[in-house]
Amino acid sequence: MAAARGVAAEDVKRAKKKDIGQTSQWTLMRRRFMQNKLSVTGVIGLAIMYFLVLFAPFFAPYAPDDQDSNNQFQAPTSIKLANGHFAVCPMVQKLNTSNFTWTYKPDCNKSEPIQFFAPGFSYSILGILHSNIHLFQVKPPTKIYIFGADDLGRDVLSRILYGGRVSMTIGLVGVTISTVMGAVLGTTSGYFGGAIDNVMQRVIELLLSIPTLSLFMAIAAALPQDMSVIKRYFLISIIISIIGWTGLARQVRGKVLSYSQQDYTAAAKLAGAGHMRIILTHLVPNSLSHIIVVAILAVPAQILAETSLSFIGLGMLPPAVSWGVLLAAAQQVQVVEQHVWLLVPAAFVIITVTLYMFLGDGLRDAVDPYS
Amino acid sequence: MVNYIIRRVLYMIVTVFFISIIAFILINLPPGSALDAQIQRLRQQGGDISMQQINDLKERYGLNDPVYVQYLKWIGGAIHGDFGQSFTYNAPVGELIWSRIAVSVILSLFALIFAWVVAIPVGVYSATHRYTVPDYIVTVIQFVGIAIPEFLLALLLLVFAATVLHMDAGGLNSQQFQNAPWSWAKLMDTIKHIWIPVIVIGAGSTAWLTRVMRANLLDVLNYQYVQTARAKGLKENVVIWKHAVRNALHPLIMSLGTALPTLISGEVIVSIVLNIPSDGPLFLASLQTKDMYLAITFVLLQSVLLVVGNLLADFLLAWADPRVRLE
Amino acid sequence: MAETIPSAQSTEIRPTGEDNVIEVLDLHVHFFTTLGVVRALNGVTFKIPRGRVLGVVGESGSGKSVTGFSIMQLVQHPGKIVKGQILLKARKDDQPINILKYDRHSQQMRNIRGNEVGMIFQEPMTSLNPSYTVGNQIQEAILLHQTPDKDEAWRRTVDILRRVGMPNPERIARSYPHELSGGMRQRAMIAMALSCTPSLLIADEPTTALDVTTEAQILDLMRELQKDIGMSIMFITHNMGVVAQMCDEVVVMYLGRIVERASVEEIFYDPKHPYTVALLRSIPRIGLSKGEKLEVIKGGVPDSYSTVTGCPFHPRCPNFMPGICDKVMPAETPIEGNPHHTVRCHLYPGSAAEAEVETSGLAPGTAPAAS
Ligand SMILES: Nc1ncnc2c1ncn2[C@@H]1O[C@H](COP(=O)(O)OP(=O)(O)O)[C@@H](O)[C@H]1O
Ligand SMILES: [Mg+2]
Repeated sequence: MAAARGVAAEDVKRAKKKDIGQTSQWTLMRRRFMQNKLSVTGVIGLAIMYFLVLFAPFFAPYAPDDQDSNNQFQAPTSIKLANGHFAVCPMVQKLNTSNFTWTYKPDCNKSEPIQFFAPGFSYSILGILHSNIHLFQVKPPTKIYIFGADDLGRDVLSRILYGGRVSMTIGLVGVTISTVMGAVLGTTSGYFGGAIDNVMQRVIELLLSIPTLSLFMAIAAALPQDMSVIKRYFLISIIISIIGWTGLARQVRGKVLSYSQQDYTAAAKLAGAGHMRIILTHLVPNSLSHIIVVAILAVPAQILAETSLSFIGLGMLPPAVSWGVLLAAAQQVQVVEQHVWLLVPAAFVIITVTLYMFLGDGLRDAVDPYS
Repeated sequence: MVNYIIRRVLYMIVTVFFISIIAFILINLPPGSALDAQIQRLRQQGGDISMQQINDLKERYGLNDPVYVQYLKWIGGAIHGDFGQSFTYNAPVGELIWSRIAVSVILSLFALIFAWVVAIPVGVYSATHRYTVPDYIVTVIQFVGIAIPEFLLALLLLVFAATVLHMDAGGLNSQQFQNAPWSWAKLMDTIKHIWIPVIVIGAGSTAWLTRVMRANLLDVLNYQYVQTARAKGLKENVVIWKHAVRNALHPLIMSLGTALPTLISGEVIVSIVLNIPSDGPLFLASLQTKDMYLAITFVLLQSVLLVVGNLLADFLLAWADPRVRLE
Repeated sequence: MAETIPSAQSTEIRPTGEDNVIEVLDLHVHFFTTLGVVRALNGVTFKIPRGRVLGVVGESGSGKSVTGFSIMQLVQHPGKIVKGQILLKARKDDQPINILKYDRHSQQMRNIRGNEVGMIFQEPMTSLNPSYTVGNQIQEAILLHQTPDKDEAWRRTVDILRRVGMPNPERIARSYPHELSGGMRQRAMIAMALSCTPSLLIADEPTTALDVTTEAQILDLMRELQKDIGMSIMFITHNMGVVAQMCDEVVVMYLGRIVERASVEEIFYDPKHPYTVALLRSIPRIGLSKGEKLEVIKGGVPDSYSTVTGCPFHPRCPNFMPGICDKVMPAETPIEGNPHHTVRCHLYPGSAAEAEVETSGLAPGTAPAAS
């Protein structure tokens, strides 16, 4: 019922008009956002995830590169309740002489209690918080592997938490780069129009005619292998933002085009305001909410891009840890078949991306309920 | 109309030309080439190898020229279908590549069809049963479907097939057919294997298309002409399928252009994981061994596929939507 | 939310013995939105005698369209007819039937739509499906209700297009809507609505989107066809000038209630309700001297969620009487000496006699959560 829809839209317009100023518009958005259960789930879930990876050393029982040849491919530790305490059963290693692999058996006769807030390896968070207290520890030589251990006996949980620091932020850096590029280029394109706009649109079309992954792969393969982790991190994030900015630039351009035709822009031009001033005081603030939404919606794709690249060995490389690097260890079916827990990082990828989509969707609906 | 086609084709050629330059530069960026590796191998085998011999080899592959001459030579050949020599395989790139591109096209096409055939009915159902339990389920599945990267889905399926079904889901053929000539039995074997990559490649697109279809239809259902159709006394089914869905398809067709790069990317990575004899694994290998002409040709041909796909999508849109004029 | 909806047949009102095509009795329509219940119609009662044209006027948002859609049982989600009767008497000798007894998806209801009751909409640009030819869309209705024979249906399609004054009906039938001008499209819509010779035509602001010349042509056409076919029209508009040209009787709506009803002469020469008076003042007139401003009703329609006690018009009323208008809902009162002219206003004696103390709009606390 377009008539009814129009009426509803009019209602909202009326409501906007009545509430003077920007704040009320933001309030309205926030109200719509808070009503959406999925988007609230997204915010809370992501907050928890980022909290976990920020304090990764605290939540991780072991350092991510802490190898242990006695516990290669150790299966997830089973936890039981003993004397009212949580405890783990130490594992006994035995060599299976038929195929020369280690097999493990829990020995629950002497269980080892889990100690909470106990000292372990020393760490510092953000260079300011120094400590050696961890959420949980068990007394060595018994080890606790919530999600099992990898081929070198490293704790998968600890590696996931540390890997999240790369995987959950590399997309953000990429999105920030593409957002700034997209916003600047899109605004310029839409505002000035003409030849600039034309060239920009052609460049975008050109970039969109290159198969994304192949382009990433080609560029990533061009990076030298012996680069520092930090440098590689930033280069990879730049690579994954190469395509990302195009979509954003298009959307921003569309918005700017519609705003440019509005009276206040014309008025500002007539009043002799400079281009920069008009762009910064009128166009950018007006498209800001849209830019934010598009940026958030772009994060999942970039997280997935890093994971995929690292998985095929062209993204982050060991010794760096990221979820893609962890999953690369699960490339061989034969390996995964016997050690399914190596796929646990996948769950973290999926959860993070889903949460971001919930958040982005909710934001879009809140900003633009009739789109 | 004819004008339009000519313009579009010219435009395509220019695009592909630019992409070839970008690809060439990119792939020439890293120091060293496959030749260095080959020379090293020769040194290890036969001990001494003179500067003269190295130069001969470089001459043969045209590596002594400046980059732009190399490019011009290569593009000149490429126009005639000669894409240069592969260093690692010591064979013309053309010979290595065509069968693999064919497999890629078939896989992508099937995945596309799969995605549309599943996404449209599910999207329509979801939109017409908004706020019901099945709609919520579809919504959740499609969120997860978009969130799972293709390579993971491929990996999960491989593991699932191996542990539960006790079959090898990788490749396009069982062991005994891998190198066999084409036959009826091999075709059947291929069909038995091909659905796994098709579903894996198509899964993301399916989820995404379902979402788009649902949103479009909800949008179209707000248009007056849907109410007009109801006011005529048409059955709700006819209103939905004849009047609403028909119009909700237009944005879907329009989005084909943006969906294609994702599809091809998905095909590349899934082929790598599932070890399918398509462009994916060979492309990755060529990047790792710096087999430059091979790598460049892959990027180029994938772009051609994309551009042609876009053109076809535009024709499809013009055919489906009477308002669109091709000019 | 089911428990908040009283049964649609709770208060049976006897139909009058006259020959009315349609009789709407105490119609209540609520929209159960996420933000609360919008009471779009609050007890609307009117009838349309056979062969007459009833004008329904009021500002946008007063519930005119919802009334029209209710008769078709096409009120869109989340709207519901919560109370009232709609009695249809398609032919002179039929018994009136309460069509609200039929399910909105039932075969009986579909037979009424398009066949007994036709409808045309405000936006000729969007009321035809862009993907099918005009002829195809008209033929569809004829095939549905009149004849299963395709060729015959096509012949009738071309006939009816000729009848609505299309210059080249064969060609028009084969054109797509986007190839026609607004006026032509509206003619095509009229052709579609009349293709099955309905006994009632609901025209929802059919000329609002057209320019003045085209508007005049379409109005002429509708009047002519109405005389020829002998159908009744429910003519929805917010334009008093159009009412004068088209209608025999008029009801004036404000916020989901009829505030005045009278013959067209009386509405123009002897308007009673301050709202009607204000509406009439807002008609542009020839001879309006320069500097004399066209009057606009002061204030805006209050938004549908807020609560207004007493007469819903009192905040904008020039004759506002404190203590009564803002406390007591006026009842519908006949004007002395003329039972066919009624008004809902405290200015006229008897209005408070059976006054309901009630609020209009959203009643806080009764709002159920999103459906
Ligand atoms: N889909 C809807 N959702 C919520 N409220 C609606 C909807 N459609 C109509 N309404 C409400 O019904 C009231 C009457 O609308 P309508 O009949 O379209 O007015 P008009 O007199 O302009 O035709 C409006 O105030 C609006 O708030
Ligand atoms: Mg209306």
